[in-house]
Amino acid sequence: MGTPLTARIIEEHANAFRALPPAGPTAARRRTAIEALTASGLPTSRDENWKYANLRPLERLRFNPAPPAQPLTAADLPAAIPGFARYVFVDGAFAPALSAALHATAAALTPLAAAPDAGGAPAGVPAQTPDARASADERFALLNEAFATDGAAIRVAAHHDEPVRLELVFVASADAVTGASYPRVELRLDSQAQLLLIERHVSAGPHASFVNSAVTVDLGCGARLHHYRLQELAPRAIVFDTLCAVVGAEACYRLYGISTGAQSARSTLAVRLAGERADLMLAVVALGDRQQVQDTYARVEHAAPRARTEQVFRGISAGRARVAFNGKIVVGKDAPGTDSRQSLRGLLAGPEAELDVRPQLEIYTDEVRCSHGATAGKLDENMLFYLLSRGLEPGVAQRLLKWAFLEDVVAKIEVAELRRQIEERLALQVHEPLARAESA
Amino acid sequence: MTASRTPLLAINDLHVTVEGKQILNGLTLQVAAGEVHAIMGPNGSGKSTLAHVLAGRPGYQITAGTVSYEGRDLLALAPEERARQGVFLGFQYPVEIPGVNNVYLLKAAVNAVRKQRGLPEVDAFEFLGLVREKMRLMHIEDSFLSRGVNEGFSGGEKKRNEVLQMLVLEPQLAILDETDSGLDIDALKVVAAGVNSLRSPERACVLVTHYQRLLEYVVPDIVHVLVRGRIAKRGDRTLALELERRGYDWVTGEAA
Repeated sequence: MGTPLTARIIEEHANAFRALPPAGPTAARRRTAIEALTASGLPTSRDENWKYANLRPLERLRFNPAPPAQPLTAADLPAAIPGFARYVFVDGAFAPALSAALHATAAALTPLAAAPDAGGAPAGVPAQTPDARASADERFALLNEAFATDGAAIRVAAHHDEPVRLELVFVASADAVTGASYPRVELRLDSQAQLLLIERHVSAGPHASFVNSAVTVDLGCGARLHHYRLQELAPRAIVFDTLCAVVGAEACYRLYGISTGAQSARSTLAVRLAGERADLMLAVVALGDRQQVQDTYARVEHAAPRARTEQVFRGISAGRARVAFNGKIVVGKDAPGTDSRQSLRGLLAGPEAELDVRPQLEIYTDEVRCSHGATAGKLDENMLFYLLSRGLEPGVAQRLLKWAFLEDVVAKIEVAELRRQIEERLALQVHEPLARAESA
Repeated sequence: MTASRTPLLAINDLHVTVEGKQILNGLTLQVAAGEVHAIMGPNGSGKSTLAHVLAGRPGYQITAGTVSYEGRDLLALAPEERARQGVFLGFQYPVEIPGVNNVYLLKAAVNAVRKQRGLPEVDAFEFLGLVREKMRLMHIEDSFLSRGVNEGFSGGEKKRNEVLQMLVLEPQLAILDETDSGLDIDALKVVAAGVNSLRSPERACVLVTHYQRLLEYVVPDIVHVLVRGRIAKRGDRTLALELERRGYDWVTGEAA
């Protein structure tokens, strides 16, 4: 498609191509990705599932990878999480000097650019190219595939008694006028392997960075992954994120997304429950304020019998923000005995804020148990009056209820220090008191 | 009755509508410090409306009448101000608030009252000791403290929690809205013991109830019968017993 945007991406890719490393995505994969993008273009707001995303910034940002960044120090990073090996990537490139406690897990993670076998998929991770033909949903992953210079290839074997603990910190430091940051994770858990993974996206400085991250997850039979994804970018950043996961038989995937940062954030989560009795818990918390856009599309496909999904969303939209969650569950014809639950709740915290919460269910087989609940509204007036009747200030009562609304999900995070950091950030964000209850 | 003093609560000719419908229709009532009043009446007579209006719940239009509390205009105060001045409403249907734990709410409520009186915040350790003592009185387990407010509580547990909050807050004026409904006899005795423990010459209590059962354990000084939004009859505790025998038709017929 010959849109000016696509033409510019192709041109910037051609200019950057020579400078791109041969590893990470190989030259062949880069070419395939750019060809697929050429054919399909990036999504537009007319595409299904992209109605609420903010795509306008794409017109004015640059797609070539950001030039090497100014050196950072550990002080530029979030506090470390005890027990977790930390790998830091700055504008998409591995930064060994900032990384710590690698010895414990060195076998599990290979920086993509340093992969020994530059000709194929590194570290035994199978190349999982998103299927461009299937839908528009994963096309930003193609953009990552075309431009990414580095990333993390993670392979976890089964012979650990304790789960492996890894933290990936992706720091965006460049401004979008100089180039983009392409965080990339290719993750494979062998049969019965266990991993606790923290994936964190932060900024160094106030730049209006453009971040386009792509994560693939492949869970073998009986593997267990707890995956905590924190989007805490600076207030002017633009981020597009694509996660594609395949969950094997009896594997368990707990995916938490906490999105609080950036000017405009779009996260596309596509999870396929490919093996019998695969178990997924997908929980997203999104906070929007000022003129932020927080848009999440989560598609879960049940492709095998007796798999289980719990999909949870809690979002608060304040100021003139737009917060959207589109949660789709597709139960295929080969998925009898599916058990899926959706609990999607949004809170509208201002007269000019926008909130869109949409559960979708497509079922192509019998014998399934699928329930969904979706609400979008203001603070519960009965709860509010109860707190006021106990003497609490209206502002305090409202903050407390907003907090409680989120805590429902956050309390389930088992890594104590991580939970503390998340709670601290959420508490900061819900600090702004609302106007007095409308009915008072 | 110590009628010579200003009553703690004086309701005069109160008219209240909800969504245009007249619920309270010229209600007049005086409660002095030290007294326990029971407000009885058939369903729909306006008992709960009265309790809610006194606590300041939104959604009620006061079309005429006055309510004074300690000589001040109660209706001019916001709900949280009433609470801090010592007015407590025990809810008929206490709300569940997952994510806000019980001890946090208790502490925030106590500190709101203390701030009003110019006192420093409670000492956390002493406060816990006090709460535990009251919890024993109300037969509430220790694990309750860290649970969400009323989260997953049975009906009886919710009512005991209301009385616990009242005991911790020590209000001047407690209004208990059908706190006895849905309680078995053991829970009723626990709730009654809680209410009785707070009786004192400085405090007053208004018990809103449909049945006289609670009044066997918390003996009221005065019983009012509310019919179609006004007091149709008043008397001492024997009125409640007579109502129990003869049914509400007796008074509704008389009032008609």
